[in-house]
Amino acid sequence: MNKIMWTRSAAITAIAMLTAPTALANGYRERHVQVEVAKSTMRVTPVRDWNSLSIRPGKKAETWTLDGEQLNDVTFYAGIAPGEPLIRESSKKHTPLPKFTSETLLVEIPELLEGTYRTEKGIGAFSVTGSNPDHFLGHDGIRFTYDYVDRDNLPRKGEARAAVIKGQLYMATFDAPRLHYFDATLDDFRILTDSAVL
Amino acid sequence: MKFLGRAVVTCLFAACVIAPAAGQERTATKGGFNLASQSGKTILLFRPTVRVGVQSTGGMFEPNADWTDQARKNIDDALAKRQQTLGNKVVAAPVSYGEQAQLVEEYSALFAAVSQSVIQYQFFVGNRLSTKKRDNKADVFEWSLGSGVAALPGAKDADYALFIWNKDAYGSTGRKLLQVAAAFGGVGVTAGEHKGYAGLVDLKTGELLWLNADGAMGGDVREIDGAEKRVGQLLEEFPGSVQPKLASAQP
Amino acid sequence: MRKGVAGLVATTVAVLSSAAYAASNIAPLPPPYIGAYQPVGVDEIGAWREADEDERMLVNSPIVIRDEALNAYVRQVLCNTVGNDRCKAARIYIMRVPVFNASMSPNGTMRVNSGLLLRMRNEAELATILGHEFGHFERRHTLMKWKATRSATDLLSWAQVFAALGNSYQSHTNFNDLELSVYGRIYRFGRDQEREADALGLGYLNASALRPQAASAVWQNLMNEQEASASAKGVKKPNFTKIAFFASHPPEGERAAAMMTLADPAGENRENGAARYAAALAPLLPSFLDDQIKLNDFGASDYILSALAINGWTARLLLARGDLYRARGNPRDLVQAAEFYGKAVEVDATMPEAQRGLGLSLIKTGRRTEGQAALQRYLELKPNAADAAMIKMLAPAAGGQ
Repeated sequence: MNKIMWTRSAAITAIAMLTAPTALANGYRERHVQVEVAKSTMRVTPVRDWNSLSIRPGKKAETWTLDGEQLNDVTFYAGIAPGEPLIRESSKKHTPLPKFTSETLLVEIPELLEGTYRTEKGIGAFSVTGSNPDHFLGHDGIRFTYDYVDRDNLPRKGEARAAVIKGQLYMATFDAPRLHYFDATLDDFRILTDSAVL
Repeated sequence: MKFLGRAVVTCLFAACVIAPAAGQERTATKGGFNLASQSGKTILLFRPTVRVGVQSTGGMFEPNADWTDQARKNIDDALAKRQQTLGNKVVAAPVSYGEQAQLVEEYSALFAAVSQSVIQYQFFVGNRLSTKKRDNKADVFEWSLGSGVAALPGAKDADYALFIWNKDAYGSTGRKLLQVAAAFGGVGVTAGEHKGYAGLVDLKTGELLWLNADGAMGGDVREIDGAEKRVGQLLEEFPGSVQPKLASAQP
Repeated sequence: MRKGVAGLVATTVAVLSSAAYAASNIAPLPPPYIGAYQPVGVDEIGAWREADEDERMLVNSPIVIRDEALNAYVRQVLCNTVGNDRCKAARIYIMRVPVFNASMSPNGTMRVNSGLLLRMRNEAELATILGHEFGHFERRHTLMKWKATRSATDLLSWAQVFAALGNSYQSHTNFNDLELSVYGRIYRFGRDQEREADALGLGYLNASALRPQAASAVWQNLMNEQEASASAKGVKKPNFTKIAFFASHPPEGERAAAMMTLADPAGENRENGAARYAAALAPLLPSFLDDQIKLNDFGASDYILSALAINGWTARLLLARGDLYRARGNPRDLVQAAEFYGKAVEVDATMPEAQRGLGLSLIKTGRRTEGQAALQRYLELKPNAADAAMIKMLAPAAGGQ
């Protein structure tokens, strides 16, 4: 019951923290320059300038953005091996994340992402809205869409492409508020991921 | 919830003795945008978020309803008065219900997310995104809520939307004493907290035309003069406004 | 701990100036309702205004469940529990949050999570929670807790400054000790409030038409669920009698026992309202179940499913169990998942999701032909499924058909 007041304090504190200087070196991803992503052999060649965030959601993941990750978030996952989660687990023991396995079928990749988001964010409203066969990194893959209400109470939409290559999962996701930002950057995401090679 | 309680108390307390560092930009206007005085434009004002209270010795916010009411009225009045210098008509957004109200809420949440992004990735120079850095050399400030804002209640009869968010916590006597004592120990303690941000959005295109965000504002919103000064600061560098030197303005 | 509850009951009895309850621990009837309460004092009026602002946003929140029938039902349960007069002071918002929690703000805003509704077995259990939250509200606990926290953080700020002034190792150690003891006091204060609200909640329940003994089951079930969760994760099972330093609530073990003593034995034979509860939840149960299953808490989810299946496994529950096992995905889980889906299909052959789950788990366990047949049935039942094209690749239509 006292949650509300605490939550408010938390928000205030968070804002106070934001104004404190932190040495973050976000990267610059210049157009027409091929670059490796997520510390892997996956490479993309952007046709417009992007930023890569220095804070990465996991060892094998990397986030790019145009206006900040709350407004447009492209995350690459590269070489996720069987038994591994998509992102860093905040507590391996107490809140384990779903794992990619050698039995995971392409059609089940949306469920893996859904479970990861729900578990990590503790949210209830999430639904996969479509999934279709796709080519990604020159392999047969899947392209799927979803929507959810994130912890900041802002409804978001997402599109993702994935392929399983030599038993490892490669995926790129795009998340943005459903108001304006999703539609505004969807084509950029598609063009960017079309350029991906291994 | 259990772990949240612990973490929050600890960092609430930590935050109260760490003075937030200054040194970041506070305002920006979209390149080329100018709102000429007396240009007959209508600005739709969404209900400002106003919270006023006391900062306890330990740094907690103590809401004070009388002050909040007083401040809300003062700010509304000051805005009305300000209209003349803005030279354009400011009207309150109509009260809405159901899906319309939910749309307003969603856009408010989006505005908050955009504002935070601007503060985090543009105003905060040390953390500025590379693309924004480059853009900024060309003096470009490009952020948007999207053309869907045209569906907001009241939008069809207006040109721009004005969002205002304001929070004041006045240092309690105990907090001020603590501040003095702490100074002897070389610890920086802030007394009071006065934050606000205001943004102008084009109701046709959704573009953010101007944003002003400040973590340390002046003007006592509990007083009529003070509220006028605050509104003056919130609307500082408001595009195209005649900048009057308010009688009550103090350094 | 028991002393705390007893002392509290004694206080309430004194207020009632009735000797009837003095001999036992049974929670007394709530005191007469004093009518619509209005806040007094700067702190309280301020807290209400804050809550009002929060409620303005809450009304339009995208995660509020606006299903009219469910909202009407939960409201009716609250009114039946605390009485129509008190009930008028509350506005209920059902939130789509898959976590066991409910809360009530100083201005009468009550939030009830979908995760809580999923875990209640009957109307009496729901009434326990609603009564407890209303108890916090009636006793104005938020304000008291907030004031206690303010005093404590005030004290700590001074102490920290003095520590800095002294700036020796000893002064910092002293400060750390003080910090722990002050926080310990805040949390203890919170736990005592929880005990008081528990007693008030039972007071309402004793006076209602529902069986008050159900209250104890809420905490008993929660303990069982946490044990199941810990055991599936392979972590140490929680200690339900020990009070963790930072615990905001009393240990569940204590609460379950206290609830039993607070419940009026005369109410033992009253009804639980299990059937009414199940009927009210039914339309939203599939979505609540889904939200829980996908949280990747295998032990807790399996426990909740088994509890819901107390009167038999329905096709929907079997489907959820299949999903749960398929998501964990160990080879043995996949075999079991196929079995659960298979049973779901036996109970209801027209449920497309069960055919899909059956098909996928059969394929994953090497029974491709049977799996493809199930996927074909999925596509027949749901030709416009969002993933139809993906499924068709796994189960290409046989040429001869």
